[in-house]
Amino acid sequence: MIIVKNLKRYYGTGETAVKALRGVSFEIKKGEFVAIVGASGSGKTTLLRILALLDDATEGEYTIRGLQVSSLPEAERSYYRLTQVGYIFQDYALINEMSAAENVYVLSMMEGKSKKESYETALEALDRVGLKGKHNRIPDELSGGEKQRVAIARAIAKKPDILFADEPCANLDTTNSRQVLDVFKELNEKYGQTIVMVTHESWHIEYVDRVITLEDGILISDERINEKEVNKK
Amino acid sequence: MINDIRVGALIASSSIKRGNKKTLMFIVFVLSLIFMNLVFLPSMIGGMMVLFTGYMQDYPFGDVVIEPSGDNTYINNADSVLQKVRAVEGVRAATKRLDVGASIEHKQNVVGVTVTGLLPTEEYEISRYPYIISEGDFLGDLSRDEIIIGAAIAGTSPVFGEIYDDLGEVRAGSLVEVTYSNGVKRTYKVKGIMEGTFELVDLNALVHYKEIEDVYGLEGSKATSVVVRVDKQGTEEQVQDKIREAGVNEQVFTWADKSETLIKQAMQSMGAIDAMSKFVSLIVGAALILIIIYINVLHRKKEIGILKAVGITPRSIVLSYAFLSMFYVSLGILAGLVLYLSLMLYFQANPVIFYETMEIRPVIDPMLLIQSMVTMLTLSVIAGTLPAWSVSKESILKAIWGR
Repeated sequence: MIIVKNLKRYYGTGETAVKALRGVSFEIKKGEFVAIVGASGSGKTTLLRILALLDDATEGEYTIRGLQVSSLPEAERSYYRLTQVGYIFQDYALINEMSAAENVYVLSMMEGKSKKESYETALEALDRVGLKGKHNRIPDELSGGEKQRVAIARAIAKKPDILFADEPCANLDTTNSRQVLDVFKELNEKYGQTIVMVTHESWHIEYVDRVITLEDGILISDERINEKEVNKK
Repeated sequence: MINDIRVGALIASSSIKRGNKKTLMFIVFVLSLIFMNLVFLPSMIGGMMVLFTGYMQDYPFGDVVIEPSGDNTYINNADSVLQKVRAVEGVRAATKRLDVGASIEHKQNVVGVTVTGLLPTEEYEISRYPYIISEGDFLGDLSRDEIIIGAAIAGTSPVFGEIYDDLGEVRAGSLVEVTYSNGVKRTYKVKGIMEGTFELVDLNALVHYKEIEDVYGLEGSKATSVVVRVDKQGTEEQVQDKIREAGVNEQVFTWADKSETLIKQAMQSMGAIDAMSKFVSLIVGAALILIIIYINVLHRKKEIGILKAVGITPRSIVLSYAFLSMFYVSLGILAGLVLYLSLMLYFQANPVIFYETMEIRPVIDPMLLIQSMVTMLTLSVIAGTLPAWSVSKESILKAIWGR
């Protein structure tokens, strides 16, 4: 489903350039739950942002379902982000002046769905992450774990091909972290959602199928943890 | 595009619904003052225009005035003109006048004036001259050696006293010597002092029409103007046309035509101040809206990045700020209107006093209000969208994480 070939990302030029990614290659199949791990500065977040089309690679190829997404113009990338990719930020990244439901259904409206249909989709997504009855609350009225679940609902409401999560539990305690990871696990196992998650917590590994480890911008290991049937694409 | 509008409206409405209400109130208050500034001064100037044009109708020009055609000094056979004019439907009254230049002397004080020769009994229907006699009486049909002089010339005017040269406390019954422009000298007894708190009146003198005819040796009912009053205000232009159709070949003006020249000249400097004030208000208003939205945008730069990151189009984001800014300005206009109308009511009851006696009441001009509203709304869209457009063009990483 995702094919990454010799992906490089340099910040700056010449000798002072920071080489965040030095040529990373791997494939992710549909339905996989992959963790990207590594020390701080290893390039894992940079990699995830490129995969989610939030940043550009300096060199290399990146395809999703055979489409060379790395070379798409901005308008198409925007549409791709809206319809094919879900991104979960470390700090939730919710719009503070919008209710939980509005944070979710604004994307459905952008896709052209009616307000009613968008609202129903949002409620369904919020239910799926265990936030039934809290759809009218604004982010300030929710706990950290709840905010992250709203962010997950926003990402999954549009039923994206791939869900990217950048250290989704970084600001959460263990209980809330488990709730979030349980949601991911359920999405992956029950709905076959492809998930790529950046994490630095070793205990998160128990939730995933596969672990890609980066060090100084280079992929140093790609290890399968749980064997399961995945759709080849 | 329709999706962009819907999403833009949703983002803007959430921001309004859950944004800081105190900030909103402050913004609206300031915008209302900007709106007030745009419309208040022109309303006051409009009030002055109404006052001055009122004077023009009540004294020199009436509703319609007929003046000599071409280079002629006089209307020849004014009585024939009057006969035609009086027969015109919609004409209430008409009279002839003779305006000449002269100087008046009293106890070695000399001032230059315009002396108007008029038919006293006809003036009751035409002008307010007979009603503004502050001392003594108005002229009568037999007043051949009598004169009415303006308070500013007499030296009794509390308004113009310190501005113009005067004859030094001339009273009713005083004798003054008038030297006409043709050199003829006449001595008159002051029958009355007129006080209209209007320069064109208070710097004028009135004598009987026949006196000017006699002094200048005029025959055949000559006049420098024929002044006409109409039955119904607002019909001046129709009456003007009818007078022309009735065969009057002299120049026929409405009071508005005459005021346009005279008042416009007088108001030019006021107009410049008005235009300057409007321009400054607009610039200040635009800058303020720009600053408000720019601060708002900077404050929410990360949100803009997030919205872009999750797939919201830059166009929706820019539209949301356009809506937001239009909302601020609409509320500002509304509050400004309430404030403006309250002030209008206040000044109707408590007019601004000019020259101690002239009461200026501001005039509400609906066109001006609409023009100001449209201008402010247009500015709000421009000022609101520019900063949002600029931020929405930034890369997502820069908007969210500043790099």
